[in-house]
Amino acid sequence: MTTITADDVQQADRDSSQAVTRRNITIPLKARGEPALWALGGALSVGIVMIFGFLLLVFYNGFTTFIAKPVAVVTLKSGELVAGEPTRSELYKLAPDAVKALAPTDAAKIEARGGYEQRTLYRTGNYDLSGYDFKWVDDRNVARAEFPSDVLFVERLEWGAFVGRIKAAAIDGKTVSTPTAKDPALVQAHEAALQRLQAIRNIERNLIGRVNYDLERLRLKVRRAELNYGPTSPEAAAARANEVEASGPLRAQYELLAAEAQRIRQIDQKNTVTLADIAGKEKTLPLSGLVRFYAANDLTLADKIGIYLSRWWEFLSSDPREANTEGGVLPAIFGTVAMTLLMVLMVAPVGVITALYLREYAQQGRLVSVVRISVNNLAGVPSIVYGVFGLGFFAYGLGSSIDEVFFLERLPNPTYGTGGLIWAALTLALLTVPVVIVATEEALSAVPRSMREGSLACGASKWQTIRNIVLPRAMPGIMTGIILAMARGAGEVAPLMLVGVVKLAPTLPIDAYFPYIHLERSFMHLGFHIYDVGFQSRNSEAGKPMVFVTTCLLIGIITVLNLAAIIIRSRLKRRFAGSQF
Amino acid sequence: MKVAMTDAAPPVAAAFGPPSVHPKRGTDGEAIRIRDFNLWYGKAQALYDVNFTIERGLVTALIGPSGCGKSTLLRCFNRMNDLIDNLRIEGRIEFEGGDIYASTVDTIALRKQMGMVFQKPNPFPMSVFENVVYPLRIDGIRDRKVLDETCYKALQGAALWNEVKDRLHASALGLSGGQQQRLCIARAIAGDPEVLLMDEPCSALDPIATAKIEELIDELRERYTVVIVTHNMQQAARVSDNTAFMYLGRLIEYGETETIFNNPLNVRTQDYVTGRFG
Ligand SMILES: Nc1ncnc2c1ncn2[C@@H]1O[C@H](COP(=O)(O)OP(=O)(O)OP(=O)(O)O)[C@@H](O)[C@H]1O
Ligand SMILES: [Mg+2]
Repeated sequence: MTTITADDVQQADRDSSQAVTRRNITIPLKARGEPALWALGGALSVGIVMIFGFLLLVFYNGFTTFIAKPVAVVTLKSGELVAGEPTRSELYKLAPDAVKALAPTDAAKIEARGGYEQRTLYRTGNYDLSGYDFKWVDDRNVARAEFPSDVLFVERLEWGAFVGRIKAAAIDGKTVSTPTAKDPALVQAHEAALQRLQAIRNIERNLIGRVNYDLERLRLKVRRAELNYGPTSPEAAAARANEVEASGPLRAQYELLAAEAQRIRQIDQKNTVTLADIAGKEKTLPLSGLVRFYAANDLTLADKIGIYLSRWWEFLSSDPREANTEGGVLPAIFGTVAMTLLMVLMVAPVGVITALYLREYAQQGRLVSVVRISVNNLAGVPSIVYGVFGLGFFAYGLGSSIDEVFFLERLPNPTYGTGGLIWAALTLALLTVPVVIVATEEALSAVPRSMREGSLACGASKWQTIRNIVLPRAMPGIMTGIILAMARGAGEVAPLMLVGVVKLAPTLPIDAYFPYIHLERSFMHLGFHIYDVGFQSRNSEAGKPMVFVTTCLLIGIITVLNLAAIIIRSRLKRRFAGSQF
Repeated sequence: MKVAMTDAAPPVAAAFGPPSVHPKRGTDGEAIRIRDFNLWYGKAQALYDVNFTIERGLVTALIGPSGCGKSTLLRCFNRMNDLIDNLRIEGRIEFEGGDIYASTVDTIALRKQMGMVFQKPNPFPMSVFENVVYPLRIDGIRDRKVLDETCYKALQGAALWNEVKDRLHASALGLSGGQQQRLCIARAIAGDPEVLLMDEPCSALDPIATAKIEELIDELRERYTVVIVTHNMQQAARVSDNTAFMYLGRLIEYGETETIFNNPLNVRTQDYVTGRFG
C-alpha cells in the first residue's frame, strides 16, 4: 500500500514553481482510514473468535468424552453412599427459606457465599436399581469422598452404566467369587460371551433374515400372480403351489437356525455376573450383557488409552442402543455420507448443465433474467418448505406412482411411496441447485473472452470451445459451487425429517439382498441424531456427551468431504496457474 | 446501399471524397474482396462504404489511427463479429469468390481457412503441444505422427521451436508474453489456413521478438495471404506489400506500400504516415 506522506507533499510543493506560500499540511486520521481498518480488523477477530471458540468447545467436549474418568465414592453425612464419576461442579442459589431451615453452621457458610451453595453432579449409573443415572450432591452434605481402587465402572448393553463391584461370576456353571476386573478367567469368559452374542446376532439378523426374505419373496410372487392374472387363475394357483413347496424347506431351515440360536443362548445363561452397587444391592445379568468393565481408579495410562480407543471404535463401528444415547453411530455416518454423495451426484450435473445453457446458449434477454432471479430466490426459501415439497411431490407423488407400477404386490406397504434416501437426496439437490447454478454461471462468465475467441478462430464449434476451453477453465469455480452445495446439504436437517431420516433405521441402505443398494429405504443422519439424542431422549444429561461427540464427527465428516473437493479443485487450479504477461 | 448511406453519412465524408485506390499490381489473384461494406455496432456506425481487394499471397497492412475500425474490419473476414449482439452489416465480403455472409456459409469451415492472431496473446490453459495442435484436435485427428509433425513445423514456422522444444508438455501459460504470442501464431498456422489475420501481433513484444515475427511474416508471404493490423509505420513499411489507410471508419487510401509511404495521393495519408497526426 502506498500512502502519500506529508513529506511527499512538501517535496511536491518545493518542486512546483507555483507554490508561493507554504501550506501546513495535516492529514486527518479519518483520511488515512485507520479507524475503518481497526473496525474491520475488530469485526474479523470477533468473528474468528466466535467460530473458533465454538469449535474449541465442541472438540474439547467431544474428544474428552471417551476418556475413562475416576469414580468417587462419597459418604454423605446422613450415612448414605453415592458412587459415580464426578461430571461437573457448579454454584447454585438456594432459596432463602431453605437456608433458614439448615443447621446454623451450614447456613452461616452459605450466607457468607451470598446464598450460593456448591454442588457436584455424579454420574451414578445403576438406573435399574435407583431410578436415576445422575445425582447432584451438595457440598455441605459430604462427609468424605474417596477413590477406592476396587470400584468398577461397567458399561452394559441395557440400562446404561453400572458403578459398583463384581460380587461373583458364574463361568460355565463354576462360580468365581469377587473377581477383579483383570481376572484372566473373567476377561476370557467375557470375550467368549461377546463372541456368542455376535454369533446370535449373525444367526438372527443375517441367516434368519435371509430365510425371511426368501419367504417374503414367495409370498410376493403369489400376490403378483394374483394381481396380474386374478386370484382364481391357473398362474396364481401355480404360484401358491410353488410357495407351499418351497416354503417347507425354508421353514425347516428356520427351525434349525432358531434352535442353534437357542442353544447358544442357553450357554449364555450359564455365564453370568452378579454386580453389587456400592450399598450392596445386587443384580445378576449374563456376561454377554457387559460391554466393558474396568476398575476406574486403578488404571494405567495404557489401560486408559486402550479404553479410549475401544470406545471410539465402538462409537464409529456399531449400531446405536439405549435410544441412541449409547453404542455407535455407524448407520448415521453411512446415511450422512451416502446421502451427501448422492446429492452431489444429482446436483452437480443438473446445476452445471442449467448454468451452461443459461450463460452460453440461451438468448440473453428478459426471460433469462427472470429465470436467473427466480433461481437466486430459490436459494432463500426456508429449507423446511423443500422438505414439505419433497414429501408431497417426490415421496407421495412420484414414489407412489413407482409403487403402483413396479411394486404393486407389496401395497399397502409403501416401497418408494414414503421417505427414503433417494427422496432426501433429491430434496437436498433441489435445495442446493441454486448455489451450483450461480457459482457455475459466475465461473463461466469469468472465462476470458479472448480464450473463447482464440478457440473459435481456430475453427472450433461452440460446443468444442465450451468442452475444451471454457469448462476446464471454469472447473475450479464450478467445484467451489459444488463444495458450497455439499457443505450446505450435509448440514441440513429440517427437510430430511420429512423425507426419510428416522431415529433408528432397522437396516442400512446397502445389504446382501438384490438389488443391494436400496435407495428407497429410510436412513439415519448425524444431524438428526444430534437433535434426537440431545433433545428427545429420556435423560438429556446422559445424551450430552453423545451430542458433542456426534457433532465432532459431523463436523469432521463435512470437513473431510470438503477437503476432498478442495484438493480436487486446487489440482485443477494448478493446471491454470503460472499465467504471466 | 449507396442510397441508404447518404442520409447517415457524417460531414467528413464530403471532405475526403472517394478513396484513392492505386492501380493493381500483378499478382496471382484476389483473396478477399470487400464491396460497399458498412457496419454498425447498435446505432453507431463503425465502417463506411469500404471497398478494396486483398491479393492472394501478399502481405496487406491495415493502418490508421486508433478507433478507425481496423480490428472491426479484420474480424469481419472470419466472422468473429458474429459473437457481438446488435451488430448489423451491409454490403459484401467475398472470399475466393463466395460471399462469406451468405446464409449457406459454414462459419466453422470459414474460420478453419483463416487463421487469426489476436492483439493480446491468448494461449489456452494446456501444454504447449496441445495448444499448437488444437486445430487438429478439434478435427478429431489422433494420429501421433501427424500431430508431432504439425507441431514441429508450426513451431519452427513461428520461430519458437528452439525455445520450447524441451518443454512441449509444460503449461503454455508459463511462457513469456512474446513466446506466447509466437505460440498463438504457431497455433494459427498449424491449422494450415489460407489467410492469416493478425491484429497488432507485435504490440506486446520487445524489439527482438518483433523482429522475429516480422521475419516470420516475410517467410509466410509466399504460402499465405497475410492481413496485418499495425500501429507501427516502420513495421508496415518493412513487411507489407500493400497498405490500406483507414480513418474514421473509411478507407482513405489503398495501394502498394511503397507508394502509400512515399507518394500518397491523399493529404491525410501523408500526414499520418509522416507522423503529423494520429
Ligand atoms: N463491441 C463493440 N461494441 C460497440 N462499439 C465497438 C465495439 N468494438 C468496437 N467498437 C467501436 O468501433 C470503432 C472501431 O473500433 P476498432 O476496434 O475497430 O478500432 P481499431 O481501429 O482497431 O482501433 P485500435 O487501433 O485502437 O485497436 C470504435 O469507435 C469502437 O469504439
Ligand atoms: Mg484494434
